[in-house]
Amino acid sequence: MPNFPLSVFRICTLTAILLSSSCSDNSNRRPGPDSGLPLKINGSTTVNPPVAEAAEILRSREGLQIQVDTQGGSSGGISTLGEGLVQLGMASRAIRAEDRAKFPDCDFREIRIGEDAVALIVSRDVWESGVTSISKSEMKGIYEGSITNWNQLGGEDRKIAFFNKEPGRGTWEVFANWAYGDHHKSPQVSFPEVGGNEETRNKVSTTRGAISQLSSSWADNESVFALGIETETDETVFPTGANIVSRAYPMSRPLHLLTNGDPVGSAKVMIDFILGEEGQQLVRKHGYLALADLEE
Amino acid sequence: MGKAAKLPKHNRFCAIKAASWFFTSLAFVAVTAGLILLLVESIPVWRHSGLEFITGRNWFYRAREFGALPMIYGSLQVAVIAILIAAPIAVGAAIFGTEFLSGRLRIGLKIVIELLAGIPSVIYGLLGILLLRNWVYDSMESLDILSGDTLLTAGILLAVMILPTIMTLADDALQSVPRAQRMAARSLGLTATETAINISLRGAFPGLIAAVLLAMGRALGETIAVFLVVGRQDNQLPESLFSFQPLVESGQTLTSKLGGSETNIAYGEPLHWGAMLGLGILLMIMVTALTFAGLGLQNLARRKNET
Repeated sequence: MPNFPLSVFRICTLTAILLSSSCSDNSNRRPGPDSGLPLKINGSTTVNPPVAEAAEILRSREGLQIQVDTQGGSSGGISTLGEGLVQLGMASRAIRAEDRAKFPDCDFREIRIGEDAVALIVSRDVWESGVTSISKSEMKGIYEGSITNWNQLGGEDRKIAFFNKEPGRGTWEVFANWAYGDHHKSPQVSFPEVGGNEETRNKVSTTRGAISQLSSSWADNESVFALGIETETDETVFPTGANIVSRAYPMSRPLHLLTNGDPVGSAKVMIDFILGEEGQQLVRKHGYLALADLEE
Repeated sequence: MGKAAKLPKHNRFCAIKAASWFFTSLAFVAVTAGLILLLVESIPVWRHSGLEFITGRNWFYRAREFGALPMIYGSLQVAVIAILIAAPIAVGAAIFGTEFLSGRLRIGLKIVIELLAGIPSVIYGLLGILLLRNWVYDSMESLDILSGDTLLTAGILLAVMILPTIMTLADDALQSVPRAQRMAARSLGLTATETAINISLRGAFPGLIAAVLLAMGRALGETIAVFLVVGRQDNQLPESLFSFQPLVESGQTLTSKLGGSETNIAYGEPLHWGAMLGLGILLMIMVTALTFAGLGLQNLARRKNET
């Protein structure tokens, strides 16, 4: 093997050239209807259902190639868009200055497609034992570990199984902003964590004494039940459409599609579709408020 | 393609040799580059926490506390549960196959068990959510457990997943014990069972241990199935390693932490990001050590049986 080092050197150089050329190749290409590259969308599991269905329709009708993914929730959507891995992000919360600071090269644009609320959901046994509403201070008590049994909240003697939505999820941030004013001020806690909406609903419905945060449209009041929020004026507000529109329910939030700069190509097709009549019907169909509902 | 096929034999061999060199080097470069990246990007956390990163019991990223010990514990605990359940079954099946079944039946058994390895792990995870966690929840209710997401659930799920790994490797180990030794034992009057225990098992022993170690490496690295049923609760380090209660509580493994949404928050903050990559290094070291130990033992066993 006399020329072993030389051949290794050659191979390394070749690899480096191959890698660098393939990288620079991709950066300038933007997917459009004709580019042959699939439109990639990633983010919030809350925004996902109407977008995924819209993608299905555009696939069959316009022949567009669209991949919709829900890696990492809203923060996942923001960071994959920021890194240029996808052309559209989905987020169930507003973009913050710190998101922009993390990805200075990305010109984030928010396109609001609907409105939703975060519900505090409980399992059937909790609901049927008489706990149907909760106040902010009681919820903070659970979050901070000072309330650990449902009998402290008027329910039966059962330990509270709190599944915390994982930090980084839009749902969690809306919840923590409500409870603590600013989610950065919420205490650091260690609870079992849940991610996507399906997982949250499944785990809460199959665990006795369970409570978690979930997108209100996923709270079907059959397997999991949305608690009313007791306000400071002793009213109980449930996350109904009317209460979300009137802002009486405190944990409402916008649903966003995110782009880097002005949308082009198939990304623009998708946005136009979801903002159009048909797309807004999909938003309603999945239990969210469409934009027109908010103006009334 | 067509061009390569028309080359003279000698040149074709050279082309194949060059290609395999190229791809081997590519893999080598990729792994080395990955390791270097992990090391360089995790420097902030080693500076910040030092060895506390490995021995620390608390992970509160906003308080800048990064202690990975509960996750190391979780990963090891889950893997050990999986091994304790899977190893006896898999090794038993391998012994049954090599010692008591005819060739064709043995292959049939092997294929069926290896089919288990072909199922994507997310399917195992979903089955875990749908069946296993409810089963654990209901059957352990007397222990006052909070939910079905426990280290035990993850361990049982992993046991099913690593069954084919142990079974196949154990089968190979038993096969490598020379037939002549078994024949000699039988002709000395030992029964089939005695032969299996005294000749085959003894001869294959290092290979069986290797099978277990390699499977444990696989168990440590498994992510999505564990992620869905382990509960992902931070800072769950029990006071005693020998009590059962911690096993039926939620926990966190290195992989379930890395699979979660926290990586998105960490991105862009050097210290937090470094801590996440530091977890990656710990995982890599653990899996590599087990794999090398396993491969070493396998070689040892092979050489022993050849002489």
